[in-house]
Amino acid sequence: MKAMLKWYEQTDNGRSGVISSRIRLVRNWKEYKFPSKLDEKESSEMIHRLEFGLKDLGEELSSPLTFSMLGDLNELDRVALKERRAINSSIAGKKTPVGILLSESEDTGIIFNGDDHIRIQALKTGLHLEELWEQASSIDDYLNERFPYAFDDRYGYLTAFPTNVGTGMRASVVVHLPMLSQGRKFSSLIGEMGRFGAAIRGVYGEGEDNFGALYEVSNQKTLGQTEREIIDTVTKAAIQLTNQEMQVRKLSLQRRKVEREDEIYKSYGVLKYARRLTSRDAMIFLSQMMAGLEDGLIHTKEEFNVYRLMLGIWPAGLQKISDRPLNKEELDMARAEFIRKELPELN
Amino acid sequence: MLCEKCKIREANIQYTEVVNGVKKEHHFCAQCAKEMDFGVYAAIFDGEFPLGKLLSGLLGIEDTEKGPDKLQQIACPTCGTSYSEFVKDSRFGCADCYSVFGPLMEDSIKQLQGSLMHTGKTPAFQRMDHESQNEDSDEDGSDNSRNELCELDARLKEALRFEDYETAAVCRDRIKELRKGNEGNA
Repeated sequence: MKAMLKWYEQTDNGRSGVISSRIRLVRNWKEYKFPSKLDEKESSEMIHRLEFGLKDLGEELSSPLTFSMLGDLNELDRVALKERRAINSSIAGKKTPVGILLSESEDTGIIFNGDDHIRIQALKTGLHLEELWEQASSIDDYLNERFPYAFDDRYGYLTAFPTNVGTGMRASVVVHLPMLSQGRKFSSLIGEMGRFGAAIRGVYGEGEDNFGALYEVSNQKTLGQTEREIIDTVTKAAIQLTNQEMQVRKLSLQRRKVEREDEIYKSYGVLKYARRLTSRDAMIFLSQMMAGLEDGLIHTKEEFNVYRLMLGIWPAGLQKISDRPLNKEELDMARAEFIRKELPELN
Repeated sequence: MLCEKCKIREANIQYTEVVNGVKKEHHFCAQCAKEMDFGVYAAIFDGEFPLGKLLSGLLGIEDTEKGPDKLQQIACPTCGTSYSEFVKDSRFGCADCYSVFGPLMEDSIKQLQGSLMHTGKTPAFQRMDHESQNEDSDEDGSDNSRNELCELDARLKEALRFEDYETAAVCRDRIKELRKGNEGNA
């Protein structure tokens, strides 16, 4: 039987420049102190009670959920989960017990005892914050029916960090901005977005070091706005940014089409034939391919999801494929091989 | 404008320093700013809670103005988080910390969040809790099942503590039954 596709392997051709959407909700169970104040025994007890109470959740969602303790996973699996965005670095590095309930396609996840007791996450390719919110919210209700939350009429859902209090929600969209981010006005554009409540950060680093030009747009504030208002703000910011990106690209097609074609075909050539690739180069060339496909400058024989490759070229994922630890040189070789195998022929 | 440290990247962070009343402006790129020792402000560039430690910056400043001694003595009775610990980590230790430290940090939260009033979703279960309390006073039947629910929950907790999953399963099923029954009555 063919393995189920992971969420990032599914394609969504809805809007150029938009890669994926995510809703994250954090909640705390009234009965316990927040995770930073729980000892190991209390943490384990709480995680087991949560897991036990959610035994039937998979059935309810009609998507089986697998539970694991982060500490029981080997280092590689843990880092791979982080590379695939199932957990964040703060959770990956935690020394106290952490539990993870994850769906097979990894689009739905609940983390127990991270920074807060409960962290619900829903992911999907394309721009779908509204739909993800409904999904996350129904999981939230299911949990709340079993575990009363720490909630205050004034401050809303109480969280360990004051930056999450209120809705406890972070709505985020990953966008691809290879041309816009090179422009002089990009930093002022980021500032402008901030003024209406959206924060932008590089997915793989800041400024010029964000190879591949993937940016995450998310809400800055969590208190004083409804979930729908937050979703609206982030959606508008994502649309605004990708529209501007597309305008710049349209201009580039009018003014320097040959140069762009040349760049894109060269990128394809390197990706298709190189024997060694650093993550930096791989991201830059994949980003070129992504833009080329969107702008119709290059066509592949089969449908091709570039983002899947962008998530697949990191050390833990490659070492999992090779099934052994790799040094830097071996990693560059494994990366080139992985991309060579996955890259479809051109039309 | 280029970053005054690396002189390569575009500066997108403006840092205003006030030393002995003399104001000085600096311009850095995010990368250099992150590497430099801005103390608590460096955390702004980190990860998921970009404003997390900013709060401790805000509170830290307040702290010296109001005289730290009195505030240092404040601690949360539930989890033991002290005011200085709270300022250092910008992190609450439990739900009760909000009522202990809340009044001290209203301004900072307002600055951080732009609001002090939650307007989003409210938990469905907590609402039911209020309603069922009202009903309880009228009906003896639901009062009994409520007591049994509390007891079962305690037994479930105990069973889990000792990893007695058989007893836990029995309790869980009974709780389910009772909850269903309550819904049927309502």
